[in-house]
Amino acid sequence: MTVNMRMIHETMRHIPEDELHAYLDQALSRSQCVEIESHLASCIGCRRERDSIAALRDRTTALLATLAPPRRIAPSYELVSERAAARSARIAGRWRAGAWAASVLLAVGLGWGARSVGSADVITPEIAAEAPSASPAPAATTDSASAPAPQPAVSGEALAVRAAPASEVRPRRADVTPPPAVTPPAARFQVADRFPDAAEPTAPILAEPAGTMLSSGRLPSESFSGSTGALFRTVSWDRARVERGESVPRIEGLPVMEVQLAGSRGDDSRPLMVVAQQLESGQVIRTIEGPATDVNQLLSSQRSDASSPWPTMDEGDGIAGGDGAMAVRRGDRILAITAPLPSDSLRAMIRRLNASER
Amino acid sequence: MDELEKLYQTTYGAVVRFLYRKVWDADRAEDLAQEVFMRLFQHRPEKPRAWVFAVAANLARDEARAAIRRRKHLTLMTNDPGQAPSRIAAADEIVEHDEQMAAVQDALGTLTRRDQEVLLLWDAGLSYPEIAQQTGLAVGAVGTTLARARRRLVDAYDRQHADDSRDHAAHS
Repeated sequence: MTVNMRMIHETMRHIPEDELHAYLDQALSRSQCVEIESHLASCIGCRRERDSIAALRDRTTALLATLAPPRRIAPSYELVSERAAARSARIAGRWRAGAWAASVLLAVGLGWGARSVGSADVITPEIAAEAPSASPAPAATTDSASAPAPQPAVSGEALAVRAAPASEVRPRRADVTPPPAVTPPAARFQVADRFPDAAEPTAPILAEPAGTMLSSGRLPSESFSGSTGALFRTVSWDRARVERGESVPRIEGLPVMEVQLAGSRGDDSRPLMVVAQQLESGQVIRTIEGPATDVNQLLSSQRSDASSPWPTMDEGDGIAGGDGAMAVRRGDRILAITAPLPSDSLRAMIRRLNASER
Repeated sequence: MDELEKLYQTTYGAVVRFLYRKVWDADRAEDLAQEVFMRLFQHRPEKPRAWVFAVAANLARDEARAAIRRRKHLTLMTNDPGQAPSRIAAADEIVEHDEQMAAVQDALGTLTRRDQEVLLLWDAGLSYPEIAQQTGLAVGAVGTTLARARRRLVDAYDRQHADDSRDHAAHS
């Protein structure tokens, strides 16, 4: 064997640096350790290398040890696990598993005051004055929250539920103050002040779960422009269910006043559906469900009144000016979603939005 | 004692440290650590220890992105390009920041992101296979990465120390 060959042989036998690190980190198998230890016993070079790596390792640990936050007492396991359990319970109680994820787009409350869906005693006289025909005496006529069957009380022509005069509406509770407006991210939620003259406190309520957003896509402009709702058909609840089955959005426990479907766009895509329901407070909430681009387009279109398919109606006007017209009354609330959600989830969301205002 | 409880007792401090070395804010690190464990108790994953650090790393990453956004905004607002971004957060948030700590922090900052991650995960007590799983490295590559990271950290620290000593000598 030549000197060169012996040197190569020796070099090859030495333990590579990373293996020495792994050895000192106890990351090797028992047999690998035995092999390394037997080599170390006979190789002074590798022993020196091992010692130097051990020193490097200790120094690294010592340096990193200086990067520690001030020592504090950790919260007890019980505390953290109880919080986790409480959070799980909240989630389970509010959202049906899976329905929430990637589905709710955004909820916009127009004139959404500090009123509870479930309690009708905080309705404001302002709302009543603005929308006299749309405000039933809350306690007397609609008590949907306690109604066991969430079936729509009214379908299609639904004016019957809106009968009580405004005088029956109890005045605003003194301690209710307008909630602070939730400021939406500028680029994505431009619908907050869509109705600048909307009923008092205009507090858009936004729900923005992970992974959902308004798409920036647009329908062809002719789809909505210049239309005052001609693309919408008003249909009965039953008819809507026949056409669209379970996908018709509905908030559990609230009477349905009107269902409108956007005309088909020539393919099998989901149509836009708008379901108007009456809250216990007497206000109308419209749930819009459809593809994100369409929902976005519909909401965006409200900026310019001239081309809006949803003309804002003045006091005293009917809620729908005939088949195909789509009217949003001042103080109406809009809930926009981009995937079918079960009715109880929508209900839960409305409650949640309401609660978050306080 | 429940397995998760044991994990909590033995790992909470390491998770706080791990997070602190990423967000450089003790309060924030505590908050994030509690969030990590709350999620752990909710999800009860199969490999809880690795899971905890994976979630912690994700939260820290989100935090860092948010900080970058804030910093960009701040830079635009103040129009002060002279301030090195990485030091703005540090200077604000670490009030009692002794010199050695700053030096080590700087030295750590010279490492690549992957080297940092592997080093911090190792220091937090994760095994080679756990580190490999979290970082996407082969198990065999963890030793190589750690070897490099350790050497670079110490070299960077020593270099800095030498510079500081020279500066001191020059001023005196």
